[in-house]
Parts: sequence; C-alpha cells; structure tokens
Amino acid sequence: MEPATRLDHNHKLSLREFPYIIRWRDDRCKRCGSCTAVCPVKAIEPTVKVQRIIQSEGPVPTPTAVRRIVHVIEQVTDMERYCTGCGACTLVCPNEAIEPEYNPQNKFLHFKNRGGEGYKRGGRKNDPSISTLDRLKFTRISMLTDPALDAGRHEFRVRTLLGRILPPDELPLRKVNGKLVVDKEIDKFIPPVREIFPIMIGSMSVGALSPPMWEGLAMGVAYLNEVEGLPVVMCTGEGGVPPRLLKSRFLKYITIQIASGYFGWDEIIHAIPHMVEDPAAIEIKYGQGAKPGDGGLLMAQKVLKLIASIRGVPQFVDLASPPTHQTEYSIEEAVAKMIQSMSMAWGFRVPVYPKISGTKTARAVLNNLARNPYAAALSIDGEDGGTGAAYNVSLDKMGHPIASNIRECYLDLVKQGKQNELPLIAAGGIAKKGNLAANAAALIMLGASAVSVGKYMLQATANCFGDEYNRCNLCNTGKCPRGITTQDPKLYRRLDSDKVAERVVEVFKAADVELKKIFAPMGRSTELPIGMSDGLSVDDKAIAERLEISYAC
Amino acid sequence: MRAKKPYTRKKKIENRKTEVSPPTHPSPSRGEGKGGGGNSELRAITIHGIINGKRVPSRILEEQIQQAVKDGARELHIITDGQHGIGGRIWPRSASGGRGETVKITVEGPTGQRLGSMGMLGTEIIVKGSTSDDTGWINCGTKITVLGDVTNGAFNAAAQGILYVQGSGGARCDTMTKHNPRFDPPQAWYFRNVGDSFAEFKAGGIAVVCGVNPRNPNNILGYRPCVGMVGGTIYFRGPIQEYSERNVKLLDITPQDWEWLKTNMKTFLEAIDRISHYDELTRSSDDWKKFIAYTPQEKRARRWFKMSTSDFRNNFWEKEVGQGGIFAPYMDHELTILPYITTGKDRRNKPVWANEKYLPPCVYNCPTHIPSHKRAALLRQGKHHEALELVLQFSPLPATVCGQICPNLCMQSCTRGQLDKPLSIDKLSSLALDLPAPKKAEPTGHTIAVIGGGPAGLSAAWQFGLKGHTVNLYEATGKLGGKLELCIPRERLPHEILEKELSRFQEIGVNIHLNAEIGQKKFEEIYKDHEIVVIACGAHKPRIIPFPGSEHIVSAYDFLKGINIGDVPDLKGKKVVIIGAGNVGMDVASQAYNCGASSVITVDIQKPAASGKEMETALAKGTQIIWPKFTDRYDNNEKKLYFKDGTSLDADLLVMSVGDVPILDFLPPSIHTERGWIAVNEIGQTSDVKVFAIGDATRLGLVTHAIGQGRITAETIHYQLMHAPRWPEIKQVIPYERIKTEYYDVCRGEFTSPEKEAEKCLSCGKCRDCRICEVTCYWGAISRVEHEDGSYEYVVDDEKCIGCGFCAGVCPCGVWEMVENI
Repeated sequence: MEPATRLDHNHKLSLREFPYIIRWRDDRCKRCGSCTAVCPVKAIEPTVKVQRIIQSEGPVPTPTAVRRIVHVIEQVTDMERYCTGCGACTLVCPNEAIEPEYNPQNKFLHFKNRGGEGYKRGGRKNDPSISTLDRLKFTRISMLTDPALDAGRHEFRVRTLLGRILPPDELPLRKVNGKLVVDKEIDKFIPPVREIFPIMIGSMSVGALSPPMWEGLAMGVAYLNEVEGLPVVMCTGEGGVPPRLLKSRFLKYITIQIASGYFGWDEIIHAIPHMVEDPAAIEIKYGQGAKPGDGGLLMAQKVLKLIASIRGVPQFVDLASPPTHQTEYSIEEAVAKMIQSMSMAWGFRVPVYPKISGTKTARAVLNNLARNPYAAALSIDGEDGGTGAAYNVSLDKMGHPIASNIRECYLDLVKQGKQNELPLIAAGGIAKKGNLAANAAALIMLGASAVSVGKYMLQATANCFGDEYNRCNLCNTGKCPRGITTQDPKLYRRLDSDKVAERVVEVFKAADVELKKIFAPMGRSTELPIGMSDGLSVDDKAIAERLEISYAC
Repeated sequence: MRAKKPYTRKKKIENRKTEVSPPTHPSPSRGEGKGGGGNSELRAITIHGIINGKRVPSRILEEQIQQAVKDGARELHIITDGQHGIGGRIWPRSASGGRGETVKITVEGPTGQRLGSMGMLGTEIIVKGSTSDDTGWINCGTKITVLGDVTNGAFNAAAQGILYVQGSGGARCDTMTKHNPRFDPPQAWYFRNVGDSFAEFKAGGIAVVCGVNPRNPNNILGYRPCVGMVGGTIYFRGPIQEYSERNVKLLDITPQDWEWLKTNMKTFLEAIDRISHYDELTRSSDDWKKFIAYTPQEKRARRWFKMSTSDFRNNFWEKEVGQGGIFAPYMDHELTILPYITTGKDRRNKPVWANEKYLPPCVYNCPTHIPSHKRAALLRQGKHHEALELVLQFSPLPATVCGQICPNLCMQSCTRGQLDKPLSIDKLSSLALDLPAPKKAEPTGHTIAVIGGGPAGLSAAWQFGLKGHTVNLYEATGKLGGKLELCIPRERLPHEILEKELSRFQEIGVNIHLNAEIGQKKFEEIYKDHEIVVIACGAHKPRIIPFPGSEHIVSAYDFLKGINIGDVPDLKGKKVVIIGAGNVGMDVASQAYNCGASSVITVDIQKPAASGKEMETALAKGTQIIWPKFTDRYDNNEKKLYFKDGTSLDADLLVMSVGDVPILDFLPPSIHTERGWIAVNEIGQTSDVKVFAIGDATRLGLVTHAIGQGRITAETIHYQLMHAPRWPEIKQVIPYERIKTEYYDVCRGEFTSPEKEAEKCLSCGKCRDCRICEVTCYWGAISRVEHEDGSYEYVVDDEKCIGCGFCAGVCPCGVWEMVENI
C-alpha cells in the first residue's frame, strides 16, 4: 500500500525493544568520541539535537524562544546495529559518561530474524539462573571421624588419569625376583594413560580464537607444566595446529581434536614424522554441547592467510564443518573406525577418545565404548557449553545438562564394574558463575574423571565480556571487542598473549588450591574422589533423587 | 586415706633433701626472676607417681604437686609413670604475693604427654631422660631441660620460657610458637636435630638446632620446615634438604647473632651436660645459618610468579617454537599490542571529506540535474549574477520550464521541505528570464544536426552552441518551442516568457531551419552532412484507441494545438468528456472551460496520473474525474458516451487524451525502433552510433525530462567529439538522514529575496564551510586548507584522528563520511 505522506517513525523500532539501552550522561561527556570509535557494532553515533526553550523574564509574559544546538551520543534503532551491551564504550570513556543497561523487557528475539535468517551468535546458553552444578554442596566434612587434611600445609597432588586403565587382573604382569614386571611375551595391549590435572582447557580452534588468544592459552599451559609442574592439557579444537607447535616439545601438553571438517589434518599428518613428542591425546568430536546437531561455518572473509595456511585451504572460501562426519553412520562403525585410525597414526601410543554433546543417548555411546579396548575415555559436553557461532535456537534450546548425564553414565559404568577403567570427561557450563573448582569437584564426585572448560577460560583469562544476559556474544561476527574471537589484527592486537598466559597460570594455580580446599576437608588427598557422591548434597529433592545424592537443607 | 598419700611432709622433705638432690640448675641466659632466692628455707620433697607398682592417676599426681608447692615445697623430685602434664601450671608464689620463688622440679621415669604444659615463669623442670609428645605445650615461662629426646610437638604454641633438649626433637616441634611483647621470647634449643614439619606457623621465639650427631645426617631440620612461619628466628648448624621458601628466607648469621649464640650456648651446654662441645659449636659463625620469616611487606612486594610470562616466552616458548611465537610465519603486521583508541593506520574507521560525492535530492531528482544548491552557495557568497546565470548552463528555458510549467521535482524532494518548505527553486529560475545568453566557447569546427525545435532539441542545440559547435536545427513548423508553443495552455505558460527565452536561444547562433519537413531523403542528406545527428522530433501523432463511434472524437493534441494557434472552438453550454485523466487531459479540461463548456468530465481506466498545477487548475474550474471507467461506445446522435458497466455520460464533445506517439517514417532501417519509439541507450544513442535520439521521440515524459535528456546527450556527444569520451557521471543521492536539519530554525515566511532563500538551502552533500567539524573534533585532527585558486578543503591529520565519527555525525551538510580504514 502506498503511504499517504512521507513516513517517519512508521517502521522504526523503539529503543525499548532492544536488549541493551545506552545510558549516556550529557553532563559528564566531553565529546571525545572514544565510545563511538570503539563500539564494535556502531550502535552509537554522534549526532545533533536542537533544544528550544521558551523564556519569559519580565513581570508580564515576554516570551522569547532560545534555540540551542547540542552534540550528543545517540543509540541507533537499527536491528543490524543493536547494542550488545559489551560495554566497550564504558571501558574507554574517560568520564564514566556512558554505559549500556540491560533491558529485561526487550523483544530482541521478536525481530532478530531479518532477511528470514535466524539469529546467530556466539557464547553459551542465555540462562542466567543458577545451574545444578552451582547448587551442589560438599557436605561430608571430615573432622574427628577421619583425618582431615590442611590444604594449605599438606602437600598433596590433584591428578587424574586420562586413558583406559586395565584392571589389575588383566594386566600382563609377571613376578620376577619378587617384583612385578610387564610380561612382554603376552601379546596384550596396554592402553596409553596420561596423568594430568583434572581440569583441562576445552576445544577452541585456531580460527574460532584469535592468534594471541590461542597462543596465550597454549603458552600458559606450557608454563603450568614446565614452571609450576601442573600437568594441564589443552585441546586444540579443529582448525589446524600451527606447525611450529606440532614440531615442539610442547605438543605433549596438547590434545589434538579431529572434528567433521578435518581442517588442517593433512598438515598434522605431514608433521607426524617431525614430532618430537606425542600429543597428550586425540579428541574425536561428534557433537558440541552448545549446539548439538548444528555445524559450523567460518565465513570466507575470516579465512585470511593464517587460517588458510593452518587449515590447509585456499584463502577467502567459506569453511563449513558439517554437523556430522560424512563417512560415519553408526556407533559401532563410526567410533570404532575413528578410534582405530587415530590410534594408528601415533602407533597406539596416544589416548584417543570421542566427545559427544550431552544427550539422553549418551549411555548407548558409553556402553559401546566400554566394549572397545582402544577407547581411552568419553567426553560429554553439556548444554551450557560455549561456542564461537551457532543459531540462537541451538544454543538456547538444544542439548542436555551435564550433571545428570554424567551421573547416569557413571552409574552405568558402576553397574558394569568398569568405573575405574573408562574415564568420563565432563564439560559444559563449568564455572558459569565463576566457581571453577567447585563445579569441577562436583562433577568429579558425580563420576567424572576430568572436566573441560572453554568459555570460562575466555572470560577469566582475556576478560571476555560475554555473559548469559546475551551480553556481547559477538564471537561469530569477527568483531570481538576484546580481540578474543576475531581475525582482524586491529582488534586482536588489543590482546596480549603474555597476559593471557599469565591469567591461565593464575586460574589453574588457584583452581589447584581450591580443589585441595574442597578435597582436603573431605579427607581425600592421594586420589581424586571420583564418584564420591556421598560427599555431595543438594537442597532440592528432585535433583537429589535424580543424581542419587543426599538432600540437605 | 592420708597415709596413702605418696608424699611425705615437710620434715621428711628435709630428710630427703640429701637423699635425692637435683643437679645444679644453671641460670637461664636471660633475666629470670629469682624471687625466691632470699628464702633459705627451700624445702625439698619427693613425689611418687608409682606406689606399690600401681600408677598414680595424672589427676592425683597433679593435685599432690600443686598441694606440695602450696605447702611450701620448692624443690620437687617426681618419680613418674607416664602421667600427663607434669610440672605445669605452678603459678609464682611468694609471701608478698609478688613474683615468687623458683620451684625446681626434677623428673625421673617415663613421662606422659605435655610435660610442663602451661608451665609458668619461676618453674624449672629437669627431666632425667626423654619426654613424650608436646613437651612445653603453651609454655608461659618455664625452663624445661630434657636430658634426652623430646618427641613430636615439643614446644607447640610456646609463648615464653626455655626448652633445652639434650637429644633430638620429633616431628612438628616449635610449631605455633609466639612472642608476646610483654615477655621475653621463648627459646628452644636442640642439641642434635629435629623431625619433619619443624616450626610450622611459628610466629615468634628463637629455635636453635645444633646438629650434633644428627639422626639424619643429611637433613637436620626434617621434611619441609617453616611452613606458614611468620615470625621468630631459627639458628641451625648442619645440612638441610628443603624448606618453605614462600615463608622464610635463609640467611647467614650476623655478628650480633653470633654473639648471642656464643653467650647462650654455654648456658645451654652446661644445662644438658655437654659443655665439652662448646668449642666445636662456636668454632665459626660460618657453620651456622638462620631462617627468618618474610615480613608482610616483603610478601606483598613479592612477585607472585616464579617467572614472568614474558620471560617464559623469551626463554622457553620462543626458544622452542621460534621467534615471534607459533603464529609469526603468518603475520604481516607488527607484533605489538594496540590500545583500544588508535590513530593512523590502526584505526578501524576513518573520516573522508566527501564534498559533493553525493548529489543533493534536488539535483538528483531534476532530470536536467540543475545544481540548485550551488546556485544558493553563489548567492551566499554574494555572487548574484553568477548564481542566476548558472541555470542557463543547464537549460535554455529556465523561466519557462522551472519557473512555470515544471512540476519541480527538485522542490518536491528538497530536504528543507522536511523542516518547513522547500526552497523556491522555481522563483530563482524565473529570475533568469531577463539574463542574456551566457558567453559561448570558441568554435570547435564540429557540425551537428538537431532535428526538432521542441524542448529536447532546443536543450541539445543550446548545449552544443554554448560549447562552440556549429548546429543546424531543423523544425517542421514555423515556430520553435514544440509542444510548449503548440499544446501548453497559455494561461499556464504566459507566451511572452516563452518568446523571451526563445529569443535568447537565438543569441547563441544556432542555424535554425524552420518549416523543414524531414522525409527519408532529407534525413539521408542531413545524415551525410553532419558528424552527429540528434533526433528530437517529439511525439506529434495522437494515440486514438478505437471503439464504436471513435471516429467522432477529437484528440487532445489537436484540441490544444488549435487553441494555441488561434483556432478557438466555441463550447458555450456544451458538455465535454475527456478520455484520459493525465495532465494533458487536465489542460484540455481547463481549456474547454475557457472555451465556455458548461461541464467537463474526465474519465480514466485507472487512478488518474494527473497532478500538480494542471490538476489544480482543472479542478478549480469544475472538472470532475471519474475512474475506473471502461469505454464501450460513443453515440454521436445521442451525444452520449457509454461505458462497459452500462452507465453513460452526455458528451457534446469527446476528447481523447491518452498520449501521443512520434512520427518516425523518415528513419532509415538502421535506426531501430521499439513499439513506435526510437530505441536508445541511457545516453540517447540509437542503433546507429552517429545518431542520437532524445525527448518524446524516445518515450513520453515531462518537459524537464526532454531538457535533461538533451543536455546529457549533448554533453556526452561533446566529450566524444573532443576525444575525451566519458559516460555521464551518475552520482548517488545523499540520504536525508545525513543532513542535520536541527541546525536550522523553522521559517514561516514566503519567498522574499534570492539571498534570503539561499540562506535556507541546507547545502545537501556540499560543504558550506561552517567549520563545525574543525571546532567539534576533540583531537584537533581536522583543519581547513585554502588553496591558491581560492578553493578550500578540510583535511584530516591521520595521526591525531581516532575515527570516532564526530565530524560525520555533526556535519550539517552530510559531507563527512566514515569508511573502513583499509
């Protein structure tokens, strides 16, 4: 229908529909433009306003009109340039004159589908409520009943085993002169096992992360191992691995991931003869907790020289990671052949384990793996995990929480008597509220041998703005204001990899102390309390029942 | 019962004094009250912890000791059997109630835990053998000499007093010791070595470990001493393995330390009966080391990291992976950190002074692209004549077209219209009426034919003439002007205005050939004689849609032309119906009323296309518009027009106004036509590259479209002829939101003068040199540069600019724009 007159506000959205509203203080602003220079999405811009004041000074009405032109910072009402609430403006403002304020009444999702395209973003599930993990408490405190330890005074190591552990009766051992030795004449496969710190850095690819972010994590991990003696490992994600790292001794702290895109894998295979160390492990990604069944796409404009070289593709092409592996059809066939292939690549010296997203069907996968002598572990990534890019609907609505998923898998292993053989790795939403050690300890006591953290690392080590109020979450756009998830040097050069590494060290050292602060009063020091669920309680009867832990209030 | 008490009273004590005499107790090194020294009646007593082979309970033994002291015993000899807490809690006593005499206790036999615990100042205990755990626990001043080993936890939480140990200490000795400033610090001396976890959480006091004949010759302080130690001093002599480096520092001893050690060593060795080792232990201060706790200040100043991550990068990481880190081979930028606010090449965006990059809406929407904003700018600069003359560079007929008959698309789109009223561009153009023709350029020697003297032909010929080309203009009728002369009602276009502008047209020396009917032959001739032929023959064949009775209708073209050439019909009292309610239909309606018609009705099959002044005039005279109406037939006898819906209208005169088409029978086959119009590209070129066509010959349009096509085609041909071929530059229109109307107050008056009007122009997309950008830029990055030719520009100092966009955001004219800085 043709409009009767030129339209002005007819199709404009009001600011009230937007998730963040910029609070700008005219009285403080000096119009230096720092905020507009730094806004990653150009949600704010300088503009001109006119004020008209009618004055009347005399004893009778003597009106005069005064016009005043003011320059202001204005938030645009363009859905393509919505304020993400990152607060980069607040960060740079010298006068504390500007900040985004969350608008709980926003109708963002009503509109964020322009062009018929569903809303895509990075981050994790937007759900700021308290997760199950954060509701679990450690209630079995050793005092006079059994010896408690002093985490600060007593020296004890928090370590876990990554890899399949043969039960003693299956070990090919022989007694020689009163000592046990491995009987090499029995042709029995002894799976490779690594002793590692039970918190690992989860898979985030080169490409998803910027060069300084990725290198900072890797360097921090190397520091922890070599300077602090803390055997932390980090998973590469699938986006290739820099050859310089592949050929270095630091590779032993790195778990290499193979996903459905097989990006960079030819380069990794080329590098195998030049490797001076085996990698810590190989992770086969079948699913991602943040976006089960949703693949990935690295947009052509992000496939610059670095990404292209490391992933082994031409520059400026779209790189699709399909949600499934193209040549794999069933658990029996797919997992078996992938584990075989990857084990073979390193002469069966490296633990190889699959990672799946949290799902009701996790136990089926687990039971298959329990029968596969080459399966080193099972990693389950719960719905609160993070991602660099996914449809919002996948992030918010798809997936299974980690707590009950890991618990039922562990109890399944217990039924089979295999709980000490096949390690479970839990991920997805650990340290969502910052409680890294507590969440990790809770998962360990529910049955995980180790946990994997991703999003928290970005927040804790590189000040990622993202949260569960949909703050920032720009990871998919390449406009990360912190320089964490971008390939634009103008942005990622804001990030200092040395600082990232330093924070990685701090985070893990603190987590080590905190884990001890949890385990020591519970009387555990020599072994990780995997599955020690009698130490856990929750103030919710339904959760207690589901997790088979005690209810305490 | 009393008889069973395992001690004897006063007299017996005296008797026993000679029986069991304690060894001479050496004086403590520091001032310890000897309040009881004056008492010559030191009474000795022996207390048995085992009677008839039966162990006396700890509680009973404690009562006996306390009672004995209360009763005056000052030398107690206690035969023990593992009782707890022997010798503690004996508060100083004296007759005066002040600091009391010394109570000396000798212990023989196995002791229980916590010997001398909570021991007070004035108590001296000598144990003739080893003790059990926690000897001297929370010692408050007792001097304890153990002529053997102490086991675990000796001197735990001791706050005052002395512990002398002839042998070794067990685990966790000297832990939690304090120094209360009201008293001297506690001292613990170990002759041999101590066990694991020594001095944990030590907060004060002195420990001396002499390291003589140690049980572990490799480590005299045990596993991890000094964890959590925050105060006090540990002197030791001999090898150690490890200690809590976070808590204490290992130092050489100072001369003062050495003096103190030497002095007090003698007392210690005498007490434990090992004076023979004095020389060995005081041979050299180099044999001794000490631990003292880090002060809180030192801890706060301490670097938390064993190694900085940048040192780790340099010394470990890059040594292994290579210079620059793992990604260095792929980086083509500097490996430095950028701040959030950047300048120069590191900015994300940069401003561009895009002066006149975009067209203002008035220029963009004018088919002739007359730059009205520049006219306003010239007026603001006081260049009145140049301003008014500017339009003549674009049109030979500004007063006729812009000033009278044009719907003024420029004004319809004027940004100012959003604020109050559009600029009066029509009136500014009318002011050009009296101006002479602009000066023409030097002759070029090129000759061009223009066929048709209507608006399109006049426009093209005018442009060619101004540029110095020779033009032959062929007009079929006896007058120039085309439909302006023939069809536009005089009341809409006063004839004197047209005539005046046509006479100005003739000033530029175009060769005008009137009454030149062009047939095929003539066209061939013209084609041969000219470098370029421009066809502007217009559309002069009325379209008639046939229906029963259509032979009786009159075309709008003939009706209007008849009136303009003086053949005025008498329509007095007649009812007129016009088929086609466009603007020509409106002109017909107005003219019909002028000729006396009693009623005029226009009908159309769709929403009428009429607009503007034509419609206003026609409606004001009483014209009715009816639509949609589909004509069925016209009955000439009834004078009725019937429609397909069965209705009818009385029509004494029926006029058809559904447009005109060109007469193109003179064209050779090489010039293609399309549905009756000459086919051209966007610069007016036909299928014959030498022949161009413009105006109504190519499609129907407004007069301004004809003028515009004439100008643009002529300009393109001019470039071609001058060997500088170029396509006419089509700029984009500036978006309205880039013009900051806020700077301008709403005006409510009418047009007064060109100068006032020029002030109103918002100068869309063209810098008005107001310097707001320069003033606004916080970083002082923008400056105005004036060139020698008087022109100016605003330039950005990239090293100052942060790319904030303030210049773009506040520019009144929308000149500044932000672009990605790549």
